[in-house]
Amino acid sequence: MFFYYLRLARISILRHWGLSLLMVTAIALGIGAAMTTVTVNYLMSADPIPSKSHALHTIQLDNWDESNPFKEGLEPPPFLTYRDAKNLLSAKKAQRQTMHTAAKAVIEPLAEEDLPLYVTVRANTADFFTMFETPFVYGGPWQKEVDDNNDLVVVLSEKINERLFAGENSVGKSIKINGDLYKVVGVLANWQPKPRFYHVDKVKAFDDSEDIFLPFTAITRKKINFDDNSYCWGPTTDNWQDYLNSECAWVHFWVEFNSPAEKQQYRDFLNGYVEEQRLYGRFKRPNDNRINTLEQWFKAREVINKDNNMLMAMAFLFLGVCLLNTVGLLLAKFLGKSPEIGLRQALGASKSTLFYQYMVESACIGVMGGLLGLLFTYLGLAGIEVLYGEKMKALVTLDAQLVIFAILLSVAATVIAGLYPTWRACNVAPANQLKSQ
Amino acid sequence: MLSMNNLCKVFQSADIQTHALREVNLSVNEGDFLSVTGPSGSGKTTFLNIAGLLENHSSGEFLLDGENVGALKDSARSRLRNQKIGFIFQGFNLIPDLNLYDNVDVPLRYRGFNARERKQRIHSQLERVGLASRMKHLPAQLSGGQQQRVAIARALATDPRFLLADEPTGNLDSEMAQGVMSLLEEINQQGTTIIMVTHDTELAQRASRSIQIKDGRVSEVPPLMKRVIA
Repeated sequence: MFFYYLRLARISILRHWGLSLLMVTAIALGIGAAMTTVTVNYLMSADPIPSKSHALHTIQLDNWDESNPFKEGLEPPPFLTYRDAKNLLSAKKAQRQTMHTAAKAVIEPLAEEDLPLYVTVRANTADFFTMFETPFVYGGPWQKEVDDNNDLVVVLSEKINERLFAGENSVGKSIKINGDLYKVVGVLANWQPKPRFYHVDKVKAFDDSEDIFLPFTAITRKKINFDDNSYCWGPTTDNWQDYLNSECAWVHFWVEFNSPAEKQQYRDFLNGYVEEQRLYGRFKRPNDNRINTLEQWFKAREVINKDNNMLMAMAFLFLGVCLLNTVGLLLAKFLGKSPEIGLRQALGASKSTLFYQYMVESACIGVMGGLLGLLFTYLGLAGIEVLYGEKMKALVTLDAQLVIFAILLSVAATVIAGLYPTWRACNVAPANQLKSQ
Repeated sequence: MLSMNNLCKVFQSADIQTHALREVNLSVNEGDFLSVTGPSGSGKTTFLNIAGLLENHSSGEFLLDGENVGALKDSARSRLRNQKIGFIFQGFNLIPDLNLYDNVDVPLRYRGFNARERKQRIHSQLERVGLASRMKHLPAQLSGGQQQRVAIARALATDPRFLLADEPTGNLDSEMAQGVMSLLEEINQQGTTIIMVTHDTELAQRASRSIQIKDGRVSEVPPLMKRVIA
């Protein structure tokens, strides 16, 4: 009977095409609005490194002022001090560990006629590339020894390699950054994780990855300029060495574990480390050493912020309004079919049979609404891209899962919207309808 | 075959009770052609609706082929309607969106016949009423008489044992009415029991039995009386 009902639905929809079009459009508008926000939220909360996300963790230590807690004591600072990061890195207590921060620099032209190139920099230690599975087209990460012996090496992004070397293999060549010559050891393939998980916050979570990658020592030796958030308490001076030794938290610190046992061991190590530091008059606040999973980190850093959630709630409210309109239109349509429903009852259709028939029709309208809704979603996402620019591009793409979800949402919403009109229509007294026809 | 014993139907709205049928006692036998006459509002249509299981009676007993239908659920009543009863209405009640083929197909679908069986029955019934060549037409493209013949084809498609006709010629001119009446007589002669509500005393006279309903009470009209009424 299903295919018979499908045929009846097609006939009915075409016969009353104006009313059907109104319903399909109402649903499509709701679905379009809802799916636009769902798509953005879905892609924002997507796992950017599924093969590793279970193993990667960030570290937080509460080194803050005893009498004036960071974020009212709810959370320790998001980064570590340089001292702590360096100590933890040297201890090598995790499978892998890296410290990194954002910086900026100028690549000086090799030829006189060229212009200098202002670039974004990630200053990091060697494990960064292995931990975060950065793909290389040429060369590879620098050796761990580089982090200690201050070699001037650089990993280029594909974009910068294209710009400087026309996409050729540049490994072994040198470029001049802020007056020093750096040897290229690797060139990354286009690597744009979204969210940019290794450096997330409310504002920068969806920025592109950096143009070049330099050893962390380039920052500590002040070869390049630090360009990241820094949280400080207590007295500070303009002296760079004092800053490195201060309680200012600015270093992103990540570790990789292979098992829960390793994580527990690391937690014990951190507790021991903090206790040891207390002997030097530091860490006066109660223990709040955190080892965050990627999911916990995104939540803490508000990668999906409250505004987005509010926007999604409003979009679903709009879908609700559209569905209420659809309920009204379906009610009008199905009650208009009361004589036919009465007749079908006289000819042997039970109420449940009729209910099934009209729910199939509702579902068909839902499928059409979903398909048109996908078009509206596409337009909505294109609008967001136009509004917010290139960096949102990765967040405004519909994948197969979202397409299926949109259609299922549309069908489910329309079937729910069709329940009451169908129930009302199927409960008309057939005798009255037959006489009045 | 159809038996009503002390059957009553009361419509209740707010504080008002309307007795549509009062203590109806009636038996209809296989092969009967029963006409039902009476003034407007006397309860004829209510009687037909109850006989066709479209409405429940308020009290009394109603047996259809020996089965007490009073306690049956919606699905069982629907099945009985589909298997045993055919309906013909004054307003034809064809589904305007469906062509003749699909209109006749409706009860066959609910019966669960396979495609070949349905096709054979639809062709056979439309041929019987002389409209086989127009099966792809929509009802609106036919005259009133032709529409009623399609309705008769639809009613007969499932081989019902009863045919319930509510003013089947009420919307037709006299020539078309005669044609439809002749068709009903032919169907009756082939063994189908017919109960026909009509205002037309001339048509009522052509039935093998007649009852009259007045103020909800049913009385049999003897053959002699039928001639007098005529």
